[in-house]
Amino acid sequence: MNSYYVKLLFLYLIVSPGNRWHAVASWTWDAQDETCGICRMAFDGCCPDCKLPGDDCPLIWGACNHAFHLHCILKWVNSQTSQAHCPMCRREWQFKE
Amino acid sequence: METLGSSECNLGVLETLSDNEIQEVTESYDGFFTTVESLIAGTGDSSVEQEFVSHVYCLCKYGLDSLVRDHFLRSLEQAFEKSGASSFWHHFDAYSEKKHTNYGEEIHEVLCKALEEISIEKKCHEKCLSIVVHALQSFKEQSSDAKQNSDAENVHLLSRFRSMLSSTLMTTLPQHFPEILHWYFKEKLEELSVIMDEDDIRKHESDCMDLDEKLRNKNGEMDVDEGYPQGKYSRHDKLVKNIGKVVRDLRSIGFTSMAENAYASAIFLLLKAKVHDLAGDDYRTSVLGSIKEWIQTVPLQFLNALLSYLGDSISYSTTSSGLTSPLACCPSPSFSRVVTPSEGIVRWKLRLEYFAYETLQDFRIAKLFEIIVDYPESSPAIEDLKQCLEHTGQHSKLVESFISSLKYRLLTAGASTNDILHQYVSTIKALRAIDPAGVFLEAVGEPIRDYIRGRKDTIKCIVTMLTDGSGGNANGSGNPGDSLLEELMRDEESQENVGFDDDFHTDDKQAWINASRWEPDPVEADPLKGSLSQRKVDILGMLVDIIGSKEQLVSEYRVMLAEKLLNKTDYDIDSEIRTVELLKIHFGEASMQRCEIMLNDLIDSKRVNTNIKKASQTGAELGESELSVDTLTSTILSTNFWPPIQDEPLELPGPVDKLLSDYANRYHEIKTPRKLLWKKNLGTVKLELQFEDRPMQFTVSPTHAAIIMQFQEKKSWTATDLATAIGIPIDAFNRRVNFWISKGVLRESTGTDLNANVFTLVESITDSGKNESEELLAGDEESERAIASVEDQLRKEMTIYEKFIMGMLTNFGSMALERIHNTLKMFCVADPSYDKSLQQLQSFLSGLVSEEKLEFRDSMYLVKK
Repeated sequence: MNSYYVKLLFLYLIVSPGNRWHAVASWTWDAQDETCGICRMAFDGCCPDCKLPGDDCPLIWGACNHAFHLHCILKWVNSQTSQAHCPMCRREWQFKE
Repeated sequence: METLGSSECNLGVLETLSDNEIQEVTESYDGFFTTVESLIAGTGDSSVEQEFVSHVYCLCKYGLDSLVRDHFLRSLEQAFEKSGASSFWHHFDAYSEKKHTNYGEEIHEVLCKALEEISIEKKCHEKCLSIVVHALQSFKEQSSDAKQNSDAENVHLLSRFRSMLSSTLMTTLPQHFPEILHWYFKEKLEELSVIMDEDDIRKHESDCMDLDEKLRNKNGEMDVDEGYPQGKYSRHDKLVKNIGKVVRDLRSIGFTSMAENAYASAIFLLLKAKVHDLAGDDYRTSVLGSIKEWIQTVPLQFLNALLSYLGDSISYSTTSSGLTSPLACCPSPSFSRVVTPSEGIVRWKLRLEYFAYETLQDFRIAKLFEIIVDYPESSPAIEDLKQCLEHTGQHSKLVESFISSLKYRLLTAGASTNDILHQYVSTIKALRAIDPAGVFLEAVGEPIRDYIRGRKDTIKCIVTMLTDGSGGNANGSGNPGDSLLEELMRDEESQENVGFDDDFHTDDKQAWINASRWEPDPVEADPLKGSLSQRKVDILGMLVDIIGSKEQLVSEYRVMLAEKLLNKTDYDIDSEIRTVELLKIHFGEASMQRCEIMLNDLIDSKRVNTNIKKASQTGAELGESELSVDTLTSTILSTNFWPPIQDEPLELPGPVDKLLSDYANRYHEIKTPRKLLWKKNLGTVKLELQFEDRPMQFTVSPTHAAIIMQFQEKKSWTATDLATAIGIPIDAFNRRVNFWISKGVLRESTGTDLNANVFTLVESITDSGKNESEELLAGDEESERAIASVEDQLRKEMTIYEKFIMGMLTNFGSMALERIHNTLKMFCVADPSYDKSLQQLQSFLSGLVSEEKLEFRDSMYLVKK
C-alpha cells in the first residue's frame, strides 16, 4: 500500500522541452451571428475581397452592436453620399469605441 | 537410233544418202558409241581420243552434231549417276539416323573428302566434255562457221552439263544433307568467332590498332578488310579458306543456294545467340553498339573473306566473267589488302543488322515489363529498344506484348495500388522516351487506367505519391525526399526551356526548319485523339485523368494535408509549403486557396504561441499545482477552411484544463475580440510516467493522457466511473483504454458486468525487455482519424440527394447511372445545387447498394424490394 502511494505520486507530466502538450483549437470572432450582413459570408471566413481570414480581414462592430467585415462596412460607408446608416438597423453608423 | 535425235537433227539428210555413205555413218556411229564409253570410263588413251574425234567429224559431216551432243551428255549423266552421285551420298549414309546436333568432328573430313571426290569426278567429266567441244569446234572451223557461234555452243554445252549434274544430285539428295551442311557451318563459325574473340582481346591490348580502327570508322569505311599482321590471322585465314573451299565445291556441283542457306542460317543462329548473350538480363548497359561491333568483326569479316575467296574462284571456274559483279572483291589470296566493300557485303551487312535489331527488339519486348520496373536505371535498354524499333517499325508488337504482360502481371488483385501507379508512371516515362508522340503510350495506358479507376484507394495513393517525398521516390532518381511532383516540375522546366527557345527564335528561317522537321503521326495513331502537337505527354495530366477531375485530387490532398498538419507539433511546414506552391502552379491558385489558409494557420499559430509565451513570462507566479505555460503549444485553425474535424467531448484533468483556459484568455487578450475554442480531443501529448526504477515515455492523444492522469488521484477505477470522469462515452473509453493495457501500464480485472470492469495501475512492469523510452503515436485505430475522409464527407453531402434518388427510382423503376446523374443535375439546381461528378455519384450509389437500399442489375439501378 505504501509503495503504491509513492509510485502514484511520481506519475506526473514532466515539464521539459521535449515533453509537451500540443493542443488544437479553433478561433472565432465572438460575434453572436454567423454571417456578415453585407457579404453574407461567414464571419470566421473572410470578405469576398480577402484571401486570408483572421487578422487580414477583421470584424468591426458598430455602435448598434452589429458586426461586419471591416472591408465590407467601409465599402458601404464610403459609398454613402451623406451620413451612412447601419445596413441592419438603419441607425446612424458609428464605429464602436 | 536416229529417232533419238532432237528436232534440230536433220534426219531428212539420211534419206538422200547413198549406201556407201550410210555404211560410213553407221560405222562411225558404232565407233562413236564405244569410244564415248571408254572415254567416260577414263580407260581410253590418246588413240581412243583421236578415233573419237574422227568419228565425231564424220557424224558432223552428215549434220548429226546434235545427236553427238545429246548422246554424249546422256552417257555422262548415266555414268555420273552410277558412280559419282551415289558414292557422294554414300559418304553421308552413316549420319542419316543421327540427330543434327551431334554429328561429331569427323563430319568435316567426310564432307571435305566427299566434295573433293565429286569435284575430281566432275573435272574428269568436264575434261571429256571439253574433248567433244574441241572436236565440234575444230570441225566447225574447218567448215568455216562463225567463231562466235562455237563459243556460244561451248557455253551452252557446259551449262547443260552443269544443270544435268546438279539435277542428278538434287534428285538423289538425302533428307539430312542440308542439316549436315547447316551443322558444319555452325561449327566452323563458332570456331571462327572464338578465334576472333581471342584476336579481339589482343587487339584491345594494342592501343594504336584501336585508334587506327576508330579513325577508319570515323571515315565511314568498313573496317572488315583491315590489314592485319599476317601472323595473327593465319589461323583465321586457314579456317576461312577451308570453309571457302567447301562452299566453292558445293557451288560447283550446283548447290549454291543450299550452301548459302546453310551458312546464312548458321550466321543468323550465331548472331541470335550472341545477341541473347550480350543482352542478357542486364538493362543498365546499352548493347546495341557492341552487337554492331560484333557483326562488324565476326560475321562480316568472315563473309568478306569468304566472298572474296569465292570471288576469284568463281571467275576461275566459270569462263564468263559476267557472273561476278564488277564491284565484287578482286582476288586477294592473302587477305591483307584493303578492299572497298563489295555490294554483296553491304547487302549482308544490312541483312545482319536488321536481323540483330529484330532479335534484340523481340528480346527486349519480351522483358519490357521488368525493364520498366527499374526504369531510370534501365534507360540504356530503352534507348536500344527505341533504336531497334526505329529500324523495324514493329511498334504494334510492343504494344500487344506489353499489354498482355501488364494484364497478367500487374493488373491483378495482388498488386498494390501504389505499385501499379509507380509502374504506370515508369511506363509513361519509358514509353515517352521510345515514342515522344505518345501514340503507343495511349494504347498501353488505357488498360492500366481502366483497371486502376476501379480501385478505392486510387486517389489517395496518387495524392500520396504526388506530394509525399518518401512515397514518390521509391524507384527514384533525384534527391531522396523529393516528391514525384517536384520531379515532374524539374522535367517540365527543362522541357519548357527547350520549347521556349524554339518560340523565341521564330523568324522565317526557324519556321522553315520547324516545318521541315514535321513528321506525320505514326500509322497506329488514333485520329480521334488529336494530332501530334496536342498530344503532349504530361504525367501529371495523365494521373489527374485517372482521378477524373482536379477538384477531386485537390480535396483529397486537402484532407491529407489537414491530417498531416494536425499531427505537427513543431510548426515545421516547409515541405508542405513547397508542395502547395507546386500544386498551385498546376491547378491554379483558386483551387489551392483553402490549403494555403491552412498553412497560414500554422504560421500564425507559431507566432501567437511565441507571443503568448512572452506575455506570460512577465505574468504572475505559478501556483504549485499549475503547469507552466511553456508546456503548451497549440495549433489554431480557421475552421471554415479546414475539412470537417471530428469533435469529441473530453474532460481534461484540472491542471491541464486550467492551462488551456489561461492560454485561451491570453489569446483573447492579444487578439480581442477573437476567442479560442479548444478541440480538446485533438493534439499530441508527450508524457513520461515515472515508475520505481525507470521512466517511460509515451506520445499519445489527449484522450489517452486524460485516462492515465486520472490514476494520479486514485489507483483503481471502474470503467463507468472513469469514462464519466473524463467525459467520453463508455464504448469510446473501452477502445482507448486498451492502449494502456497493451502497454502493461494498466491491468483490467473483470467486474460484475462489462461496464463495471476495474482498471488498476500495474505496480512494476514485469516485461523488463521493454526499454525505458517507448515512442508510440496511439492514433492508428481506424476510427480515430481526426479528419473525416473524403468518402465520409461525400456521403454526408450526398445524403440529401438520397431521397431524390429513391423517389426517382420508385417512379421510373430502374435507371442507368448516367440518367440519374443528368436528372439530378436538371432538378437539383436550387440550394443545395447538385455539383457532384459522375464518379462521385457512382461511389455513393454503390454505397447504397451495399446497404441493400438499392439493387444494381445490368448496369441499371433499382429500388430493392
